[in-house]
Amino acid sequence: MSENVLLDIRDLDVTYHSRSLLGFGGRSFSAVKGASLSIRPGETLGLVGESGSGKSSIANTVLGLVPASGGSIRFGDVELTSMKTRYPAEVRGQIQAVFQDPYSSLNPSMTVEDIVTEPLRVHTSMTRAQRRERAIELLRLVSLSQEHLTRHPHQFSGGQRQRIAIASALALEPKLIVLDEPVSALDVSTQNQIINLLYERRDELGIAYLLIAHDLALVHHISDRIAVMYLGHIVEEGPSDRIYKAPAHPYTAALLEAVPLLDPDAQRKRRAARKMAPVPETPRLSVAGCPYRNRCPHAMARCEAETPPAYPIAGGGTANCFLHAGDASSEPELDKTTEHVAS
Amino acid sequence: MLRLILQRLLALVPLLFIVSVLTFSFTSLLPSDPVDLILGDTGTEEQHEMLRERLGLNQPVHVRYMQWFGRAVQGDLGTSFFNSVSVMGAVMQRLPVTLSLTAVSAIIAIVVGVAAGIAAALRPRSWIDRFATLGATFGQAVPNFWFGLILAAIFAVNLRWFPATGFTPISDSPWDWLRSVILPSIALGTSSSAAIARQVRSAMVGVLQQDYIRAARAQGLSARRIVLKHALTNAMVPVVAVLSFQITVLLGGALVVEQVFAINGLGTLAIGAVRQQDIPMIQGLVLVMVALVVVVQLATDVIYGLLNPKARPS
Amino acid sequence: MTGSSTTPPHGPRQPRRLLVASSLIATMATGVLVLLGLLAVFADVVAPYDPLRQNLIEALQWPSSSHWLGTDDLGRDVLSRLIHGSRIAVIAAAEGTAIAVLLGVPLGLFIGYRGGWWDWIVMRIVEAIVSIPGIMVAIVIIAILGPGLHKAMIALGILYSTSFLRLARGVVLAEREEVYVRSARVIGASDSRILLRHILPNIAPPLIVQVTLTVGAVLLSEAGLSFIGLGVQPPDASWGTMLNSAAAFMDLNWFLAIPPGIAIIVTVLAVNLLGDVIRDSIGRGVAIAAKPEATPTHSGKPAPAAVAEPVVLPRLKNEVLRVENLEVMVGSGAGLPIITDLSFSIAKGETLGLVGESGSGKTMTGLAVLGLMGAGLRTTHGSIVLNGRELRSLSQKQMEAVRGNEVAMVFQDPTTSLNPAFTVGSQIAEVLRSKQGLSQKQAWARTVELIDRVGIPRAEERARAYPHELSGGMAQRIAIARALSCNPSLLIADEPTTALDVTVQQEILDLFRDLQGEFGMAILFVTHDLAVAADICDRISVMYAGEMVEMAGVDTLFSAPLHPYTRGLLEAMPHASDRNPPLPTIRGSVPRPGSWPTGCRFSNRCDFRIKGCEQRIPLTGTDRLVRCIRADELALEAAQ
Repeated sequence: MSENVLLDIRDLDVTYHSRSLLGFGGRSFSAVKGASLSIRPGETLGLVGESGSGKSSIANTVLGLVPASGGSIRFGDVELTSMKTRYPAEVRGQIQAVFQDPYSSLNPSMTVEDIVTEPLRVHTSMTRAQRRERAIELLRLVSLSQEHLTRHPHQFSGGQRQRIAIASALALEPKLIVLDEPVSALDVSTQNQIINLLYERRDELGIAYLLIAHDLALVHHISDRIAVMYLGHIVEEGPSDRIYKAPAHPYTAALLEAVPLLDPDAQRKRRAARKMAPVPETPRLSVAGCPYRNRCPHAMARCEAETPPAYPIAGGGTANCFLHAGDASSEPELDKTTEHVAS
Repeated sequence: MLRLILQRLLALVPLLFIVSVLTFSFTSLLPSDPVDLILGDTGTEEQHEMLRERLGLNQPVHVRYMQWFGRAVQGDLGTSFFNSVSVMGAVMQRLPVTLSLTAVSAIIAIVVGVAAGIAAALRPRSWIDRFATLGATFGQAVPNFWFGLILAAIFAVNLRWFPATGFTPISDSPWDWLRSVILPSIALGTSSSAAIARQVRSAMVGVLQQDYIRAARAQGLSARRIVLKHALTNAMVPVVAVLSFQITVLLGGALVVEQVFAINGLGTLAIGAVRQQDIPMIQGLVLVMVALVVVVQLATDVIYGLLNPKARPS
Repeated sequence: MTGSSTTPPHGPRQPRRLLVASSLIATMATGVLVLLGLLAVFADVVAPYDPLRQNLIEALQWPSSSHWLGTDDLGRDVLSRLIHGSRIAVIAAAEGTAIAVLLGVPLGLFIGYRGGWWDWIVMRIVEAIVSIPGIMVAIVIIAILGPGLHKAMIALGILYSTSFLRLARGVVLAEREEVYVRSARVIGASDSRILLRHILPNIAPPLIVQVTLTVGAVLLSEAGLSFIGLGVQPPDASWGTMLNSAAAFMDLNWFLAIPPGIAIIVTVLAVNLLGDVIRDSIGRGVAIAAKPEATPTHSGKPAPAAVAEPVVLPRLKNEVLRVENLEVMVGSGAGLPIITDLSFSIAKGETLGLVGESGSGKTMTGLAVLGLMGAGLRTTHGSIVLNGRELRSLSQKQMEAVRGNEVAMVFQDPTTSLNPAFTVGSQIAEVLRSKQGLSQKQAWARTVELIDRVGIPRAEERARAYPHELSGGMAQRIAIARALSCNPSLLIADEPTTALDVTVQQEILDLFRDLQGEFGMAILFVTHDLAVAADICDRISVMYAGEMVEMAGVDTLFSAPLHPYTRGLLEAMPHASDRNPPLPTIRGSVPRPGSWPTGCRFSNRCDFRIKGCEQRIPLTGTDRLVRCIRADELALEAAQ
């Protein structure tokens, strides 16, 4: 099985250093701590978390934009962390990205043709005519047409810009595309168009996705597996359906809980079961113990002292929570009803 | 507060150091040999050597720099090559003159500039705005020394309201001091007031579009209060940075405008020193000017920190 | 379909008159500079006399027919010297600016991209140079090189290269953080490729502006240096040396100072004005590029006539706000409608949701109630009645009294809606003092109470915090506390949870409910998220392209949506289904104001469109309203 892994992240640490005025001293901030993930060829892994959870740091590290400060990232047979941010060309071409903001992710001074064919210019020796042919093909893949080639990004709507970004990411037929909140800046009515597009191209071209998003429901639609992050730690990981329908970690459950339901009546009932509590302080990442303990309704003495390891969960995957320290084959003891009572 | 000042002071140490290295090494690049300059063709080879030794010129550059720097820190900037006066003494004698021009013109520039900028920003595209913008554009195109010539021709030569030349120290007579510096200061301050007005206007216009201004209006605070408290405090943040730069510009401008009014300040000293290649004098002048600028920068940095909580050390 | 055809040549806030004025200025400025260039090239041909020929008998003459601008102290013809001076001005400006650009830009690009020690050292040196008055730097450099035009220009070039260096570095530092540069790095473009192909083109606009500024500055400095005798050396004719000799003879012939002075002013003015025009036009281009939907268009279509529909709105018990037939226009002249024919009402203790996507006019509705829509926007029709009083007829002063006391607003981004310069507590206390006349002490006590009330622990301490020291959720709680400080009867909440995390969103929504229970205010809740609306609202009004398409009680709307747009939106919600793609979509995208279809504005995206949809569709119904001619039919179809 391990030889069939495309991207393998082991115990990844990402730490940022802020330099002080004179260049020495300064503070460091740990964004990701001991994260492990893997993606198989053609698979989609959804990485979910709130702001500050470290999900974008993982994306940037995989893309070689930010160096890892510990752990390893293997892409196929190549160890990436040892190269810091200087990936060899053959790896660069294999890992592409689509970013969140379609307004700043396209260079305003370039035409659509320039943007879409830029990867080809860097990595291939195609002639101008060949590149143009490929550009037209790529635009067709994202439901745009040849007439758009000579236009500039500001002439497009947000959804269309995101299509252009996707076309550019597809240009080299990469094995992995990192999607960093690809639809969160778009109108609701156009979001699904992009989701559908990504889904179709994946199945056609056999690309793997690392999908970074804050919305579990959206991630659930196109992910095979989901990993949930909280304060730099991966707290739960497993098959998409299992995570969405039977969350094992209290944080995952809270995340699902927090999204309002489209059914006002059900939402009313859920709200009635919830009590307002003052906002707790969140612990610093460097301190030992479960990162979620201050907000967790199930927190025990043990959660203060030790950082929970990944326990296997029935139905697939793992959760870093002492509630699951018992038998792996038993049903997760945490379901929605017990959660309400406990809180 | 104290921490802020200390932090800023600390940040200025490398600046002063680099300036001293720069001036010292630049002036050692001077094409002429000071010994030749002083003795001309007259002295013998031995006299040349002796002078060289006395001036310390036979030592390596970094040693000379260390010696010079060591003395400079103690306030000794050396002796002029030509009239054997101490550089510090000569500079200190002229400093009040140039400082008077700089200070008065800075006050004029800031008062006029800030007022015009606010007035223009509050009523975009009104006649006030157009007038201020036009004035600012013109003000930046007029050479200060030419403006000084014209002012002198009208108000000194023709109307005889002010003296056309010379400088009266403030200790002699504050009134005559003001009369002697007002024309050069207006000539000097006009273009800076124009630059400041443009900055204030654009900063104010920018701030007035911010969310928090709209939120303050949604809260029903009076328009006057919003402009003078909420908007101005934030708009001054970028303007303060410009002020320190403008004061530097004024200090430089004073050197030229002095010539128009035959005022014997640092400008005359500098031009003379350049013509005579008087190395210690040039070095000393630059260092003193930088010290002045550094004081101004420190003051503006502190004001900046007061206006902008994010700039304060936590 | 794309914005190309609708991208306006100018924004609505830029009256045509100003554009004409600026193009006139540009033409004149260009004309002056072209003339200057021609004079410089053909100086020998154009000048009536040899500029160096002395004639001491005719010295210091006033203007005459033989010497149009008189003669100087050595009897040389001033006009000829002025014309030849233009040659020096052109050479000086070109030389000084070119040296500055060639020195500053590459170095700035390099250190900006490279960063680290290179950057630190070079920047410290630049800071050192900048902290010496510019003219003094030039004087020192001239001391080394010696006086003369070209040497002075090298000095000025070095001096002004610092501003180009800082500009280039600044652009690189800013662009380096841009997402498209990150994209280029992901593609694998090399550093030099990123610098030259991706970043450099974006430096052009500010560079052009800086060049014009520098040309002006070089001209002034050259004149200054020549004036004090360190630049162009006599007898050569430069405007600065002419002024130098004029200065000596001011009492004999003051006119000598006028021609060179005017020449300098006109030239510098032309260059600066041209720079201003360029900067303004670039600024507009960037604004359009950044936010296409923010710049509505003046397409040929006339604005829909403001024919008021009969208001079908039933009167509510304890009605707080009643808006009828509201119309909002943007731009001058006939204007472009942003909101048309909008009617709704809210009762005490009730929450009405205003739901729609970008460009639907939902945010503008909230601002219209407050009378705070901003420049270029105005309500042209309809009425806004708050607590029985027509707000549209109130004066600015009266409106000021209404805001805060009767109606308050919470904005989308809590971190920008609080003033960064003051503590959060002082911003609440200020409202209490100026609106309710509390003393400093009372206001502070009440502020701490309010902060505690919105669920912030250690309220006394947090009141002294600055906005940037608080998390987004905390800052939004503060903003809510401020909005409620004077107990308004209506609270307008504009996407108050959109910038927050879901778990924080849930806390804030709970807080709104809780506070409504205590304060009893009506809430107008503006959001794009139907699920949030389902949580917080009693009734929901769905907006599309500037008009209301459906309004119903929250349960009815979610169980039986009538308008095809509402339905499409509901189906498209991420948590509406848990099936795999293809997910349901609404085809196309939201039309911008100015490109709305005539008739039903949703018709070009609607699957149920029929011929009748090309007419203007009225809002129908009594309790629940819908703007669709097939609503009844579709309701039946859905029920089956």
